[in-house]
Amino acid sequence: MNKYIEDLNFEGEEFMSDWTFWSPQDIRRKKGVLAAARLMINAAMTAPIAGGVPSLEVHLVYGQAELEAIARKMEEIAHTNKNWEEPFLYEAVMARDSDVIILLGNTRCHETPLDACCGMCGGTLDCGYFYEKKKHKYGLVDISDRSSPRMIDGPLCSARVDDLGYAVGSAVWMAYTLMVDARPFASIGMAGKKLGYCPNSGMVVGVPVAAKPKNPYVDVNVDYHLINMDKVLDNTRKIYQTARVLRGFDYRKWIPKRQKAGKEEE
Amino acid sequence: MGHLIGKEYIQDHIVEVAKSVVLAIHKAPQITGKTEIETEILWGKDLEPILAVMEPVAAAVRYAQWDYETIKRCYEKGESPVIIIIGAKLNVSNLGWNCGACGFNTCKEFNAYAKTVSGGQLGGPCCNWKLLDCAIACDWACAAAWHYKIDNRIMGSVSFALGALNYMPDANVKLGLTMGPARDMVYYNREEMHKVMTYEMDKMDLIRSVPTMFTGFPGGGNPMYKTKDDWWAPPEFLNIEYSEEMMQALDKILYEQIPEVLVKYSPQVEARYKKKK
Repeated sequence: MNKYIEDLNFEGEEFMSDWTFWSPQDIRRKKGVLAAARLMINAAMTAPIAGGVPSLEVHLVYGQAELEAIARKMEEIAHTNKNWEEPFLYEAVMARDSDVIILLGNTRCHETPLDACCGMCGGTLDCGYFYEKKKHKYGLVDISDRSSPRMIDGPLCSARVDDLGYAVGSAVWMAYTLMVDARPFASIGMAGKKLGYCPNSGMVVGVPVAAKPKNPYVDVNVDYHLINMDKVLDNTRKIYQTARVLRGFDYRKWIPKRQKAGKEEE
Repeated sequence: MGHLIGKEYIQDHIVEVAKSVVLAIHKAPQITGKTEIETEILWGKDLEPILAVMEPVAAAVRYAQWDYETIKRCYEKGESPVIIIIGAKLNVSNLGWNCGACGFNTCKEFNAYAKTVSGGQLGGPCCNWKLLDCAIACDWACAAAWHYKIDNRIMGSVSFALGALNYMPDANVKLGLTMGPARDMVYYNREEMHKVMTYEMDKMDLIRSVPTMFTGFPGGGNPMYKTKDDWWAPPEFLNIEYSEEMMQALDKILYEQIPEVLVKYSPQVEARYKKKK
């Protein structure tokens, strides 16, 4: 039997900063956001839900390559619809600028509806709207045909979609309580779903989370996909390096000096 | 200087808390940023029309009975719950996303379909992304009420009554958040419902709802059901059939009893909105 050994080595120091990106101090900072994201997921799990039926699944995604993959899928989706193009491209930048991304999906909205005849899906007095548009046998929905070209293979049980909204709300509420920045995004949800995250869900919402000096999800400029911190930094490297190349002097022997009033430079 | 005694102001203060909850509803983050959320607060005598609609439903539907009895008993004791109506017009998609979640390929087709239906028990149809915005707002309402430590619950039964009475006429989905009175365990472990449910009633609800729990040896193809201690003598079997009696009871509620209530109360609800315009 393993005996519990208490670690009493309680001393140390940790340096944290958001600069430079992906440095040890930045990754330490990100780990705090990861802890917050885990608590946000706990909050989502306790959100009120119709009938108390478990129907939430979650993917927690972090790491440079992982976030980049989501951002690229968002860019791909952005170009499939004129109404998505600009906002989704902007949001792809936000995804890259995030520390952690939470994907929340409802596993029942497309397959095992609430069956309460609430009518929210189709505005009818029963569940007929949902079932008539689904392939099913005596109410058992066959979701094995995965060839739908649509982004989301509706119709969905609106009561379950409502539940998903409650889960998203609680996650974001917890983020606000913990003072980390987070917002719910359709674009991240659709990209995550297409990448296979939340594999059992009919609908997925993405909640990126960050703890940075500037909230990445608000106050963006025009053409944000072209002009943003990554691009500005990259352009700085491009321009400044070239500016240096154009100059040359042996600083050990001579450095140009500011001209003093009335005197010519020696 | 001052001197306040909790029980003298606590009931009125729930309404003040409800006003703060409404702030959270409107501050709730949205996915689309294009969903207009509406809110209203009702309490005291203004619960009477809602209770009147819920009464006949409660006679046939267990969860409605639970909500109806709880709200009514609290109200009659002078500890009126406060209902926050959270609503939005979700049957018009102004997104142009054509995502397919509603079951149509395009928002345009959905919008055209939505004009042909009048709505079900809880309204509808819904653009699913806009519904998510509405749901996030509802969740924030619950979380805000929880933050203030007021017992609360979103109720489909109340939502149905709000829809029938046509509160918030511009919204096609309106959910009711019932909160208070200020004490532990109002809507969970409901003290108001003590001695209402008999052992037999509870047991029969479970047998009807989760029949496999009570199923005997299924090898014969038509198993006996263990509904009593000596379940084998005489044995009982499950039967599934159309129930004329049940359908007539539901029709009576929907097409006789509720319309009677509406005749009585709809004009006063309607008048509120006329006045406001």
